[in-house]
Amino acid sequence: MIWLTWRQFRVQTLVAAIALVLIAAYLVYLGMDIRDAHDAYRARCASRPADCPSALAQFRSDHESTLLFLAAGLQLIPIVIGTFWGAPLIARELETGTHRLVWNQSVTRRRWLAVKLAFVALAGAALTGAASALLTWAARPFDETTGDRFSRIMFGARDIAPVGYAVLAFALGTVVGLLLRRTLPAMAVTGVAFIVLQFAFPNMVRPHLIAPEKATLPMTAQAINGAQNMGSITGGAVIHGLAVPGSPGAWVSGISPFRTADGRTLSGARFDECLNSPQRTGADGKFGDTAVCLARLNLHVDVAYQPKSRYWAFQGLETAAYLLLAGLLTAFGLWRIRHRVS
Amino acid sequence: MPNKQPPPVLQAEGLTKRYGRRTALSGVDLSVPAGRVIGLVGPNGAGKSTLLHLACGLIEPTSGTLRVLGSAPAAGPSHLARVGFVAQDTPVYGSFTVADHLRMGAKLNPGWDGALAERRIAQAGLNPDQRAGGLSGGQRAQLALTIAAAKRPDLLIFDEPAAALDPLARTGFLRNLLEFVAELGAAAVLSSHLLGDIERVCDHLVVLCASRVQLAGDVRDVLAAHRRLVAPRGALARPPAGIEVIWSEGAGEHDTAVVRGDAVPPAPFKAEPVSLEDILLAYMTRASGTTGEGTR
Repeated sequence: MIWLTWRQFRVQTLVAAIALVLIAAYLVYLGMDIRDAHDAYRARCASRPADCPSALAQFRSDHESTLLFLAAGLQLIPIVIGTFWGAPLIARELETGTHRLVWNQSVTRRRWLAVKLAFVALAGAALTGAASALLTWAARPFDETTGDRFSRIMFGARDIAPVGYAVLAFALGTVVGLLLRRTLPAMAVTGVAFIVLQFAFPNMVRPHLIAPEKATLPMTAQAINGAQNMGSITGGAVIHGLAVPGSPGAWVSGISPFRTADGRTLSGARFDECLNSPQRTGADGKFGDTAVCLARLNLHVDVAYQPKSRYWAFQGLETAAYLLLAGLLTAFGLWRIRHRVS
Repeated sequence: MPNKQPPPVLQAEGLTKRYGRRTALSGVDLSVPAGRVIGLVGPNGAGKSTLLHLACGLIEPTSGTLRVLGSAPAAGPSHLARVGFVAQDTPVYGSFTVADHLRMGAKLNPGWDGALAERRIAQAGLNPDQRAGGLSGGQRAQLALTIAAAKRPDLLIFDEPAAALDPLARTGFLRNLLEFVAELGAAAVLSSHLLGDIERVCDHLVVLCASRVQLAGDVRDVLAAHRRLVAPRGALARPPAGIEVIWSEGAGEHDTAVVRGDAVPPAPFKAEPVSLEDILLAYMTRASGTTGEGTR
């Protein structure tokens, strides 16, 4: 059975190996590059401490977009595994009728599927795990200076979480192929379903894996200027991208709208007033007069956040959740292939 | 029943299979004794493939039971090893070479007879290094037959194996099939809508039509139990005692009928022997007539 799995899967294994070599070569190069840049920044910092903030800002901006792009790229690997390895695994056999050949050898369907799942899932986990480990290594100096690895996007492209994604995507593709019985529709459904999951999970499930810490942040002008942006397309009095002062590197998973001292939400009209026609004070900072205007209203926000120390707990829990889901799908597939096929 | 007797090759009780609203098999009762080459005959869509897929465990019945060689179909690895199946259109892996297929057979079947497989591949003139995707229909059928037979099963099941082949390839394939059956000492079930093939190869018949078994028995017994009856017009409306009219047709002053019964009828009836093909046609015509539809 292992020979057959290898015989049917050797081209994919070869393609994956070549892809991994290319990815590895690039990430090693990138890792060296980032380390050189990091050394340069540290040297500049040591020789002229006044230059430190601008040197740091430059080091960040030089690599930020590349690492965001790579984080998105790493997310593609599980999708490719699910659509190109998982979906055709059974669907292709059903489509070409070869299931009637192979399922009449002296191997039960269940064992046939179990060996194939184990072999290909291991290959997928190895490929994704290696790529993730290399990216984690390459980005380490950057992650250490920015404390950014817990953020929504980077988290899924570091350490062990991508392995869980790959195994789940593969199990999902296999089961979808078993149910739909046609390769191309199974590939499409798998891709779409997994992408939806990858948007839903970080937003709807991940924040609740461990009950978040709560804090109330007074919205001083300084605090407002530390945010990334304000407002929303629906005109709500909201602010995004705040850091929690006492907990550096924390992942802020939820920020309430601006609240007034009596706990009510700031009205959209008052917010717009500060946003569009604040009193001119000549204040600088990211949001300038708007920040001063809002600060005068004596506002605060309630935030939910996960301290940096929980990073590994979250990596473990998220990976376990994906592996558990993959296990359930696999159990369903093994049951289904015994009783309800062709 | 003495214990020494081998269990029936196929034993069905109330076997029913529905696909949604369509009934493929309806309450089939069947017992096929061991040591035969069984022909499963019927028009397209009669439920032949359904019955054979049930027999090798690819599908499960909606209700009723089917036992193959005394146990549930595809009950486990050891039972899978005892049943060889050659599916319709003889599927093989297009990207595998002929040798890869034999290697697959060797890896997946503990009872694999590699010498038998290689000898047969050589006899069929197949190049072991050729990709199966490039084989002709006849060569592909020979390959599929070899894979099914080289695991040395006790029962070989063929689902319309020769339907897509030209007459020459079909003859070669059927001869090969019989040689395998003889060499393995196996029973075989062969479905076909080609009556000539069945008549050439089989010694036991099951006529499946309109989701039901219309006739089952050894070819010899079937031939002995049926005859053609020629009678004056209208006389068949009240057939003699012990005679069942399967099918009849009026031509001129006489009616001709295919009848079943041991009794030799008195004058004015005139009995003649009847060919197997005509018997089978009579049953299939009757079945499609009474239900109004013989095909899906």
